[in-house]
Amino acid sequence: MPKEAYMAGCAATANGAKLARVEVITSYPIRPYTGIMMELSRMVAAGELDAEFVHGEGEHGQVSVTQGASAAGARAYTGSSGVGVAYGMEVYSPISGGRYPCQMAIADRAYDPPGDFGSEHTDVMSVNNQGWILGWAETPEESMDNCIIYYKIGEDPKVMLPQWQVQDGYFVSHIPNKVSIPDQAQVDEYLPPYNCPHALNPQNPTNHGPQIFPDQGPAIDLQRAQAFLNTPKVVEQAIADYNKAIGRNYSAWLEEYKTDGAEFVFFLMGAHCRTARFAVDHLRKKGAKVGMVKLRFVRPWPTAQVCEVLSKFKAVGVIESQTCYGGAMKGGELQHEVRASLYDSPKQPAVCSFMAGLGGEVISLEEFYNMAKILEKNAKQGKVDQYVYWVGFDNGI
Amino acid sequence: MAQVPTQELELLKNLRGVDQKEYYVPGHRTCAGCGPALCYKLVSKAAGADSIFLGPTGCMYVANCSYMCTPFSYAWTHCQITNGGGVASGVESAYNVLIRKGKYKGKLPNIVVMAGDGGAIDIGLQAASAMMYRGHDVLFVMYDNESYANTGIQTSPMTPYGGKTTFTPPGKMVPEGKKLFPKDAPQLFIGGHPALHYVATASIGYPVDLINKCRKGLNYKGPAFVHIHCPCPKGWLYDCKDTIRVAKMAVETGFWTNYEWENGEYTYQHIPKTYKPVKEYMKGQERFNHLNEEHIAKMQAFITAKVKAPGKPIEVPVLGPREA
Ligand SMILES: Cc1ncc(C[n+]2csc(CCOP(=O)(O)OP(=O)(O)O)c2C)c(N)n1
Ligand code: SF4
Ligand SMILES: [Mg+2]
Repeated sequence: MPKEAYMAGCAATANGAKLARVEVITSYPIRPYTGIMMELSRMVAAGELDAEFVHGEGEHGQVSVTQGASAAGARAYTGSSGVGVAYGMEVYSPISGGRYPCQMAIADRAYDPPGDFGSEHTDVMSVNNQGWILGWAETPEESMDNCIIYYKIGEDPKVMLPQWQVQDGYFVSHIPNKVSIPDQAQVDEYLPPYNCPHALNPQNPTNHGPQIFPDQGPAIDLQRAQAFLNTPKVVEQAIADYNKAIGRNYSAWLEEYKTDGAEFVFFLMGAHCRTARFAVDHLRKKGAKVGMVKLRFVRPWPTAQVCEVLSKFKAVGVIESQTCYGGAMKGGELQHEVRASLYDSPKQPAVCSFMAGLGGEVISLEEFYNMAKILEKNAKQGKVDQYVYWVGFDNGI
Repeated sequence: MAQVPTQELELLKNLRGVDQKEYYVPGHRTCAGCGPALCYKLVSKAAGADSIFLGPTGCMYVANCSYMCTPFSYAWTHCQITNGGGVASGVESAYNVLIRKGKYKGKLPNIVVMAGDGGAIDIGLQAASAMMYRGHDVLFVMYDNESYANTGIQTSPMTPYGGKTTFTPPGKMVPEGKKLFPKDAPQLFIGGHPALHYVATASIGYPVDLINKCRKGLNYKGPAFVHIHCPCPKGWLYDCKDTIRVAKMAVETGFWTNYEWENGEYTYQHIPKTYKPVKEYMKGQERFNHLNEEHIAKMQAFITAKVKAPGKPIEVPVLGPREA
């Protein structure tokens, strides 16, 4: 029987890892993700989970141990936040290139300077092109579910890619919510034990990662790109199967909230979706034609779905909790992806970004209402006045 | 938690006992006379087929393997120059859990990291130290060619005083080239890793001794560190036919000392009847050609002090390839 509990994102995610029967766990402390490892170490010590628990000497070491464990054929798990995500950087590409489907949980956090514990998408978004599957959870339950679903996707023989399973620091990782924990038997049926076809194994020796000559590079890179092209079908199947097995209702790529008849929408991911839902409810009551579109995966980026869904509206406000200094639109990275997705669409909404929630600041309902005013104007005039607004600083918001 | 079953490797009495089978096979592009390549061959014979080797970036990665043409007949993986100890820890942890759960039927493979001096005690030190601290059952071999060789012979913490490298060229302002004395690698590990029970130094000039030390290290449950002196003709600038001669001369002059440390005690140290002057060792190598008498005296003083360490000396002759 599924169990109902109140828990914050860290504990819920640890329960996801336990249900996924992770076999090698590697820790290193950094807020806010630390709670995941505290809970997993307790489970291992109490005999509730049979796994090796390795204390990494830093994130670079953590990710390295995880690479070795996954290469040797174990289901490997690690995690981090903020500067820790950056410190592991060297090892991300060897893992995706080695096609080791391990998982790294991230409770996102701002980079330094200044030292700041707050949630921000900057850490993960600055490493997002290393060949890992990547998506955000809005709630503790979604984070737990994603942990299980991501292993299912990553370990598929057509995919074989590592995954970053992200939740927003504090907003998700530290605020208790109702979580329905599935039965171990249900999860076991959904996610069979990991069976690595190319594990480092003396009984069937293989050599991994030898030096290549430049003319061998393109073919090898193409294979990793191909794995990403194979991923969408696997994602859709994995989520449909999970919904059925566990009784959830996730959309694969984009969740539309009150978009029927909407003329303008907020486009975002993670915890701020919850505030956006309240804002939409309130504004709808007042007659505004507003909705919300929630993004579930950043890699692979759902180009066709973003194009199809966002083309329906007259204006889109991309909420960016990360910065992309000096980039094409001078705001965050999401607007680049959104505009690229819409490029071939015959119907172009007016797209602007709102720089909001940086440093972990709460995006208030008031701020959502102010953003909505700008979007309403953009929808009416069919164009934007500004590509980027810094919420709290720019005219009227 | 219950210990997983491990392998027990036999120690050799002489060269005739060495496994005739090659595990490190042709397919590499190392320089003629490459000391580290010979070291790889010997460590591979020590460990055998039931092994997983890890190769951090360095000559023994780059010059050893081309895609689809590697010399490793056993399971092998590249790792970064930074993380040999980390990836090996993960492999060992995985086998512990897989054997415990019955998903792998067999004994714990011999897990061997083959790190260069840079990959072991400079950029790779953090990962190596963490692996030894945590007590993973891994043999960490440092093949020491006394430079960052693969990148074109740059100074590393193992480059000797007075060594010319492409980052320590001698010049008017820096007549000796390299001014610092090297790190004492084994002491870095002996000094602070309670789970570490076996540390040894070896030389490719003494293959039986080298193989036995690697096997002892592998037989110990938990981490082991073997530091192996590996002359490099390209970096040290001597004739490639002289690799073994240079290796032996290092031992005969006291430039290199073969010893063993087990469970907190020095149990073996090779001491020649007399030490030849270190000048004899240096003169065949062009990397030292620019040094003057004063520099050589400084080197001799360093070596004279060094051969007194470590700990309890025991005089046991080490068999060379011809004497065995
Ligand atoms: C993070 C990182 N920095 C630098 C390098 C460049 N690099 C490649 S091989 C090498 C030399 C390695 O020296 P050592 O470990 O002593 O092995 P050797 O080449 O001497 O056999 C270096 C510095 C690298 N591969 N990775
Ligand atoms: S440079 Fe030295 S270590 Fe590298 S392959 Fe040549 S001889 Fe061997
Ligand atoms: Mg070297």
